[in-house]
Amino acid sequence: MTTTGTADDRPLFGPESRFSGFFDDPRWALAIIRATVLEAAHPQIGAALVDNSTFVAHPWRRLRNTFLSMRRMFGADPAVREREAARLNRLHARMSGSDSRGRAYDAMDRATRAWVVATLFESAVTMCRLSGQPLDQDTMERMYAEYRSFLAALDGDASELPEELDDFWRYFDRVVEDELENTEAARVILYRLFDHLPAPALLEGAPTLWAAGRAVVGPLLGAITVASLPESYRRRAGLPEMPGASTLMQGAYCAAGLARFLPEGWINAESIIEALSLSPGSDDPRARTVAALAARMKRASALLRLLTPLSGVPQPDPAPSGGTGESRRSAEEFFRKVLDQTGDGHLDWPDLAAMARELSTRLDLDEPEETRLYDAFAAWWRELQAALDTDGDGRVSAEEYAAAVPSLAGPALIRVAEVLFDVTDKDGNGTIDAVEYRALFRTAFHRDLTTTGGTYSRSAFVGDFLSFMSGRRTNTAYDPLLTDA
Amino acid sequence: MPRHVACVMDGNGRWAQRRSLPRTAGHQAAETTVIDIIEAARAAGVEWLSLYAFSTENWNRPGAEVDFLMGLVRRVVRKHAPLLLARGIRCRFLGVGDSRIPRELARDFEDLATLTADNRGMTLTVAFDHGGRRDIVEAARSLIRSGTPADEVTERLFADHLPFPDTPDVDLVIRTSGEQRISNFMLWQVAYAEWVFPEVLWPDFRAPDFLACLHTYRRRDRRFGGVPPRTMGETS
Repeated sequence: MTTTGTADDRPLFGPESRFSGFFDDPRWALAIIRATVLEAAHPQIGAALVDNSTFVAHPWRRLRNTFLSMRRMFGADPAVREREAARLNRLHARMSGSDSRGRAYDAMDRATRAWVVATLFESAVTMCRLSGQPLDQDTMERMYAEYRSFLAALDGDASELPEELDDFWRYFDRVVEDELENTEAARVILYRLFDHLPAPALLEGAPTLWAAGRAVVGPLLGAITVASLPESYRRRAGLPEMPGASTLMQGAYCAAGLARFLPEGWINAESIIEALSLSPGSDDPRARTVAALAARMKRASALLRLLTPLSGVPQPDPAPSGGTGESRRSAEEFFRKVLDQTGDGHLDWPDLAAMARELSTRLDLDEPEETRLYDAFAAWWRELQAALDTDGDGRVSAEEYAAAVPSLAGPALIRVAEVLFDVTDKDGNGTIDAVEYRALFRTAFHRDLTTTGGTYSRSAFVGDFLSFMSGRRTNTAYDPLLTDA
Repeated sequence: MPRHVACVMDGNGRWAQRRSLPRTAGHQAAETTVIDIIEAARAAGVEWLSLYAFSTENWNRPGAEVDFLMGLVRRVVRKHAPLLLARGIRCRFLGVGDSRIPRELARDFEDLATLTADNRGMTLTVAFDHGGRRDIVEAARSLIRSGTPADEVTERLFADHLPFPDTPDVDLVIRTSGEQRISNFMLWQVAYAEWVFPEVLWPDFRAPDFLACLHTYRRRDRRFGGVPPRTMGETS
């Protein structure tokens, strides 16, 4: 594995690399969106995204995970990188299936994975070109070497990408010309994601403000991204050419490029992403600053609501209905926010796999714990399917779920809780002590607990987890884990 | 200068009847007075102003009038929100517990309170769906729930369980239209208040009338249950 050392002896990874220079670059945000569309336009990746990805329902969590993962991959520490590569490989090994036309996909396919790295590299180069600060040949070649070693760290070697930069452009154009399609996943990113983007945790208290901003920015981002895609792909996919879109796109890239004149440290991708993901109610010390910011947002949206003109005649207000309707609604709400991770309105294996993925990422699980957790979730899925899928279509709808909530906590779900307990109970003494419990909450649930002593027994833990997962109790400490947007 | 002035806005219906207008016209005319009095109180240096807009007993009025009032209050709140914010007035709504209050209106109340929560100019408390006895009962409930032993309950502690416990005692209550009743208004807080009863109806009540009431108050000899001071006539 060639991870360090080139002709000029600067390391390919770590803080010296071209890549980390782009980390805090606002242009990178636009470039990442563009790269994601190019990835999604690849039929194999597109099919995998549509089936498995949580990015429509939980885009902010997905963004944060991707960001942290890339930082580990491009960090200076080879041990961290190897571990992250192994984790990514395990994660992708669990994704395979077939698309709507019956063509098989496999997230471990080497050529496909090379394409992901290729889009990231090409988008970085293009972003510099579009913002009027093109890279010189040497820098470009260095950066290409960095991305090739990134692929090598993942795949063992980088033979799927041409060795020389000159050949890369031919390779890239060929894939764009021959392989890319107007996939559903690409359309979802271009036209649906930004229009329905849920508010990040920070802005959850200000839905009106968020919706108003999104209504303007969403279509703009879509138009900017379309205009920045390769011409031949736009033609083949039949994407609309909008007058002025290319000017707008170049303006956006240039404006984002101007941020380089800001004082150093003003724009830091990590703190921005972390701040967006913090929910104001959590006990994190940084949350106080966030809470102050959230209060301002709340006031701004209150003003916005008060200033919105009243629509027509005041309509009589129906009294809120109570009783069974209430609990049914909360079950459906739970279904939407927690269970349906892929946001397609159905509960399916990819939803539960996404939960297992999220938990093992947050808890930083290694083998064999990770497999045990996946197995437990798989068993729970079979249990759910058998109990809830009344119309036999292989998946569970929100209605089927809401109707069967009371009987949800079967033995397989208990098994999930037990596995979770076991991986937390590092010293294996049958109880989670205060330190382990705090660590679990801090890493998995992003909560800082103030408890100082005491232990949590297996049965107490299992009981709590069950009542959360069967939707019987909301507002538990588990909520932020799987409901984060 | 009174620190806390409260107004019972009485006489809207009679004002309309005298002009052969529907009662609702009286409520509409009251809007001008409300804004005028808020400005006058702020300019005069009153720190706390409370307005009695709707009592728990007002639900007994004809349905059409109640509906009209709800719509009117909503329009007034939305129309004047930017002004109240700009004037540095902190707004809050006392009561607002009944489920018959339209959800949109409750939302607007909440929004206005959120919007102006950090203002430090004057605190405007609008009693809407308010009843003094209900507040006292609520405070008693909250006290019992907190498990306070009976011997430890003091007036001060009890007051801490009332809604908006930071509200100081009312110094002056103005009830327009010549009616002389308390009507279940902020019963706890008016314990030592001075009352004035101008004859003018609320829609005709204006800043000069308000200042006249403040003047009357200043000439009153407030004793808080003690003996009159030896020097008769004008004190403070």
